[in-house]
Order: sequence, then C-alpha cells, then structure tokens
Amino acid sequence: MTVAAGIGYALLALGPSLALFVTVISKKPFLILTVLSSTLLWLVSLIVLSGFWRPFLPLNSAASWPFAVLIITSVAFQEGLRLLFWKVYKRLEDMLDAFADRVSKPRLYPTDKMLIALAGGLGHGAAHAVFFCLSVLTPAFGPATFFADQCPKLPFFLVSSIIALAFATIHTFSMVIAFNGYSDGNKLDQLFVPVVHLVTGMVVRTCCWSYYCNF
Amino acid sequence: MKFYFLLVGLFLLSQCVREISGQAKSMESVPDLQNSMYRVVDGVPCVRLLNLSGEIGCANPGRDKVVAPVVRYQTGLDLARPSAILVSLDRMGELFDRHDVTVFFRISKDPGLSKNIGGILVESGTGIPNEFKGFSPDRKFPLAEFSPYQSTNYEWNPRGTGILWNTYTFPIFLLTNDSTPIMKKIAKENEKKTEGHTSNVAEFDLVMQTTKYGTHDSESCLKEGTCLPLGGYSVWSSLPPIHISSSKQVKPTILTVASMDSGSLFRDKNLGSESPISGLIALLAAVDSLSRVDALGELSKQLVFAVFTGETWGYLGSRRFLLELDLQSEAVRGLDSKLIEMVIEIGSVGRAFNQGTETFFAHTTGVSSATNATLNALKRAEVSLGSQNISVSLASTSNPGIPPSSSMAFVKKNSSTSGFVLEDFDAAFSNKFYHSHLDDPSNINSSSIVAAASLVARTLYILVNENKNIRSSVLDSISINGSLVDEMLSCLLQCDPGLSCELVKKYITPSATCPVHYVGVVLGEPSSTPYIGYVNDVSRFIWNFLADKSSALEKNSRSTCSQDCSNKGEVCIKAETKGICVTSTTRYVPAYSTRLKYGSGVWTVLPPNSSDPMAKIDPVWTESNWDNIGLRVYEVQEASLDRLILLAGIAATVLAYIAIAIARAFITKALKRD
Repeated sequence: MTVAAGIGYALLALGPSLALFVTVISKKPFLILTVLSSTLLWLVSLIVLSGFWRPFLPLNSAASWPFAVLIITSVAFQEGLRLLFWKVYKRLEDMLDAFADRVSKPRLYPTDKMLIALAGGLGHGAAHAVFFCLSVLTPAFGPATFFADQCPKLPFFLVSSIIALAFATIHTFSMVIAFNGYSDGNKLDQLFVPVVHLVTGMVVRTCCWSYYCNF
Repeated sequence: MKFYFLLVGLFLLSQCVREISGQAKSMESVPDLQNSMYRVVDGVPCVRLLNLSGEIGCANPGRDKVVAPVVRYQTGLDLARPSAILVSLDRMGELFDRHDVTVFFRISKDPGLSKNIGGILVESGTGIPNEFKGFSPDRKFPLAEFSPYQSTNYEWNPRGTGILWNTYTFPIFLLTNDSTPIMKKIAKENEKKTEGHTSNVAEFDLVMQTTKYGTHDSESCLKEGTCLPLGGYSVWSSLPPIHISSSKQVKPTILTVASMDSGSLFRDKNLGSESPISGLIALLAAVDSLSRVDALGELSKQLVFAVFTGETWGYLGSRRFLLELDLQSEAVRGLDSKLIEMVIEIGSVGRAFNQGTETFFAHTTGVSSATNATLNALKRAEVSLGSQNISVSLASTSNPGIPPSSSMAFVKKNSSTSGFVLEDFDAAFSNKFYHSHLDDPSNINSSSIVAAASLVARTLYILVNENKNIRSSVLDSISINGSLVDEMLSCLLQCDPGLSCELVKKYITPSATCPVHYVGVVLGEPSSTPYIGYVNDVSRFIWNFLADKSSALEKNSRSTCSQDCSNKGEVCIKAETKGICVTSTTRYVPAYSTRLKYGSGVWTVLPPNSSDPMAKIDPVWTESNWDNIGLRVYEVQEASLDRLILLAGIAATVLAYIAIAIARAFITKALKRD
C-alpha cells in the first residue's frame, strides 16, 4: 500500500493523540514526564500480559470462550494497575502539595489534577495504539494491501487503525473519569471505567462486524 | 462533560469491526502477516541464453521487477495495460502453435504489442488430455546445420514450433502442480474485480545480468563475465578396463554412445524421458548385463561406452570428445580414434511398443562392410531374442540420412564412420513432446527400454566375438535386469524418489532430489580430473555406475580412498559416501564448445579453425548470470486510495487539534468565570 498509506494509517491511529500532546501536554514539562512514565507503565503491563498468555497461544479460534477469558483477565489486570497508578499518584500529589507549602506557592488546582490524569490517560492510549496497531503496520508500507476474511471490503490496516484510535480516545478520558471517581469516592464513576473497558474489549472481538463490513 | 468524551470514544468504537487477536487465519506474528500478504509462487523460469549473434529465451526487460495484473488467456484476448497472462496447458499449444508462432514473432519484434505482455505464466496439469496433439518447442529439424547431408528441410520433428529459439522481452514462468490452482483462483478474482479498486498482481523477478550490463551476445558477455558457457562433463568407460601399462596394443574399438542432456523452454523442468534418457538407461542396463559376461578381455575387440552431454546445444559433448581424441589428450588416454571401428548410438528407445511388438529401426551411417557386419550382428541378436517379440529393421531409404543424433558429429568429422543409430521411429520422431517440459515418464515404456538394451547388449557381444565361436548358451544368458531399468526410471525421471533413491545414493551424494537433464554451465576450469563439486549429479552417477560395473570381474584392491588411488589403473568410486579403489578405465571428458578456450579465469572465443568445419557453424551458447529469480503475487489497491488514506490521517490529526483548541478555549473561559 505504499509509504503514503502507511503514514496515513499511523496518523489515523495516533494523530489525535499527537494533537492533544502538542496543544495541551507539551506546554508543561511535568505533564510530558507523566505521559512518558504512563506509556512505559502500560507498555510493560501489556508485555507482562502477553508473556503470561504466550504458553496458551494459539487459542482455538472456533470457540469464543478462550478469548473471553483472555480479555477478562487482561482488563482485570489493567484496571488493577490503574488503581495502583492512582495510589502512586496520590503519594506524588501529597509530595507536590507539601513542596508547594514549603516554598509558599499555591497547591495543585483541580484543573492541574485533571491535566495530570489526562496525561496519564494519554500515555495509556498511546501504549495501546503502539502495541496493537503500529507494531503490525510495517507491511503496510510495502506495495501490497491485505483484507481479512471476515471483512473483505475494508483493508485490515484501516480496521486496525480505527480500533486503535477508538481505544486511545477511551483510555485517555477513562483515566480522567477514574481519577475523579477515586478522589470523590464516587462508586458510579469508579465502576464505569472498568465496565466500559471490558465491554468495548468484548464487543470488538465478537460483534457487529458483519453488519458494518458488508456495506 | 466527561460523559461526552466517553460517548465520542464509544461512538468511534461502534464503527469498529474486528479485534486483531481474533483472526481466523491464525497468524502469530508480523512475518506471518507479511507471508500472507506477499505469497511466493513456485515457478520454473525460462532464462536468457546468448550466442555469437544475439540472445534467445526470456528475461525482465530492465533492471526492475515486472509487476502486472494476472489475466487468463482467451482466444482474441485484448490487453488494455501490461498484464501477466495465465495460459493453460492445452491452450499453450494453441498459443505457441505453429500457426500462432507469428504472433510471438510479432510480440517480440513489435514493441507496441510487446508492451502489453508483462509476463506469461504457464499452467501445469496433472495429466495430459488425450486430444492434446503434442507440443515441441524445438525446430522441425533440430540442429539441421550439423547434418552431414543436404536436405535440411526434412521434418524429423513434425510437431516442432521452434519457439525455444525465440527472443522474448518478458519473463515466462511455468507453474507447478501446486501453484497452478492458486494462480487460477487469483485470475478468477481479478475477473470479478474489474470495477473494483484492488487487483491481484504477479511480481516477476527475472533480471538477467546480461541485460543489466548491456552485453547481448556471447563474446561480449564472456568478456564482461556476465555469463558462462553451456557445457558439462561427458563420461566414457571401457569394458573391460584397458590395461595401459601392458605392452599390448590398443584393440579395435566398438564405441557405443548415448546422451544425457535434453532441452526445454523452462530451464529446470527438463526431463527428456524419451529423448534421450530412454537411450541412456538402455546403455547403462546393457553395460550392467555385459559386465557379468566372463572373459570379454580375451577377445580381439574392445568395447567402449560413452555418454555425452551438451548434445542439445550443438553436439558439444561429441565434438569435444572428437577434438580430445585428435589431441590425444589425457581425458581420452587409452583410446585411438583411428581404431574406432564402429559407432553404435542408442537414441530414443522408449516408445517402441506397437501392437504387441517392440519395433526398432537402425539408421545406418553409410554403406560399408563394417556397417553390414553391424547389421548382421543386430539381426542375429534379434533372432536370439525371438521369444520376446522384438523386431528391428533398417530405416527407410526415403529418409535423407541419420536422424539428429551425436552420430551426426562423428559423420561430419569423418564421413567414413560406420555404425548405426538405434531408434524407435523410422521417418519422423515418435516423441510427441521432443525437447519440451512434457517429455515425462508417462511418455515411455520400460519394456521398450529393456528390449532396446537386450538388442544392444547381444549385438555388442556378437560384434566383439567377430560373429564366430559364439555359444548360444552364453548369448542367451545376456539378459537385462528389468528391475534395474525400473529403478533407473524412478531415479532419473521422477521427483520421488528422484536422485535420493537407493541406486544413486549408493554412489554419490546428490545436490538435489528432482533430476534435471539440462546441460548446465561450465564452472571453473574444464579438465579431465575436475573438482567434483563442479560436475553435475547425473554425470557423477554415470561415472560411478560405469566404473563400478566395468570393474565387476576385475581384480580390485578395494582399499578405501577419498579422491585418488595409488595403484595404476584404479579409480576411487563412491568417493562421496565410502570410497573404494577398483580397477577401471572410466574418465570424465569436458563437454564445451570447441570455439572456447579457458585461460586465467576468463573464457575467450577462438576464431574458427579451418580444420574444424563444425566450429564455424557453432553458435557458442552461453547462459546469463543472475542474482535472484522469483515469482510473487499480492493484492494492490489504487494509488488514489492510498492518497485518500493519507489525507484521512492528516484530517483526523488536524480536526482533533482544532477540537482540542476550541475545548481548551471554552474551558479556560469557563474557569475564568468561576
């Protein structure tokens, strides 16, 4: 599909994240650090998950339940990690506030806290996009295209980029909602994020493709 | 507000289709994906060959790979753009038929038309349909310029089209039995996609070095080093071994010859079952049966067997053999050309079965007392084989002379050569697939080869005894081992077991399993004791086989060896497995054009020598070098779609930037209000 299409797919998956980075994150060095460490953390989590599941692959693709187990365990692990991420963030917030008090500067505003959560979410989204989409994009830079059996109308790389874009958006804003939920003690918000993550993961595996593909 | 963001995400997701982890194709890695996208197709190419005046064969027109959509051949096909034409086996005959051969002349000489043929893919079939009249890409009189008689427009090969000798400016590949259905499916998909934005293309990599360096004839390409001359190693052996150390004079010699190389449009699909391998197998079987006859050494004549290679390309093997005899070189030590009394050639002998009898024809090389003696011996052998329904007759006098065979080189050199060529045809080839990739084992019959071998073995025994004092019990005991013939058929003409069969592995370690009877190119310096790695599998097998058989009744030291033997008159057989020394006179003779000379790593073309009339007409065939040859298929989409995707990616980024900027401005204003 040539270099032009390859660049197009990469931009489709990560372009909005890049736009967010340039407009919001790049202005504050602390946020850049947050994005980088968040990306690292979530990439490591995905590597740990794939390492754990490697002996069980390839899964029998005829039955659905092995994939359901895969997605449930992966989502559970990541949500657990998000909780841990929040706890680390709380400690960091206390340290920053204490430091601000010592130098007689104002403490973190609510908007600052939301920006840090946004940066964390952006890192999570970028990690997902890189791990699931960019890593398989190399063949797209050559002359050939590829269509999956289940979706003969759309090129495989286009599908993969769109999914990566959706997940990047979801992860970016999920982090904001989750941090809000944890700090306010709002159970609805706290439950909302893992449920959405799980539902989207399952939906993407099983549903709706035949309707949307055979247009 | 946070819900709005999430809704955006969900909305995008609801447009989604399938998670990567759920692929039914079960790809486990990016290389797997790459291999599914770019499928390598098995194909046998037609390569670029050059001679002193130009080129023949196929190659990519430039230095780049040829990429063209796959289209099925139909009569009256009209091409809008350069395409790869997929033509079926029976349609290929029609396409390459003598009536349509002008189409190809047009194609190769008319640049406008040739622009739209990107490449040709020929299908393979599992069976040849009965209505298929035959296919032969060689000429109607192969190697007519070497004939010792004038009538060069006689049609020995009536089905010949001559397409083997054309110049094609595009690649041609022969598909295998496995890759043919894949290509047919791809062509069918392409037909359905005529309106669509994608098409399946074939990528041909057949870039020849002679094209890259602009050397378009043998002399220039040999000088540049972009090609190598065609040639190989012929083998001769005497039965029993010649004791050169003794003071005995060289005995009058009866030379029996066969050849081991065939031709084909496709370099690596070259079996030549009927022409000439049936003759080769008959010769080897005859040697095997004669090797069990006692006291051959006490007779007054000497039997020598020779198997030549390169005969397809201007009788390279036989001409070089004759030159070496003149020069009395090391390769032919023990032989004296003046003492060669007769030359008996075993030609195509696999299709003699005709209404219950195996019928052979002896094409004589002139009338003389020696030839008469040979024919009498042949008749006597036929009589002794009476119960086996074998008949041999003289070839028709309306034939202009001997058919295309190595004997032509002998007769052209010395018109008084006596002997005959044993064939299974009279006035024209019975082989419907002469020098084509379809001349496979289904074209011949092992009983026919056994019959020919029996005839030749008994004839030779009678001749060597000078037709007297022959005990019919000994004559009748000379019989051919039918299972050896069957084994050689499966070793030399099939891919399974092919050269990995027991018989071949007893003697050599073959470099490939599928036998290919193409002469190949001369690697390194040609010599009578070549580096074994430069000699091809079949030559090495024949050398070891003949050495083993000719030493059967001799006193052998059987000491282990790896290359040479210390005892004079001994050679090291089975050197690649477990070498042992046996008494035998079996030698390699290099086979290459008499117009070429090898010196300090470079081949030079010599000017024609007046004493060698055949050298003047020798085209001096060479084969171009190449880096890689391959065939791939993949699907491409229109360039406009690629640009559209790039635009979509840029648009997504820009729109997101604008949306975020607006949201930020909105939020800042809202915060200021608070």
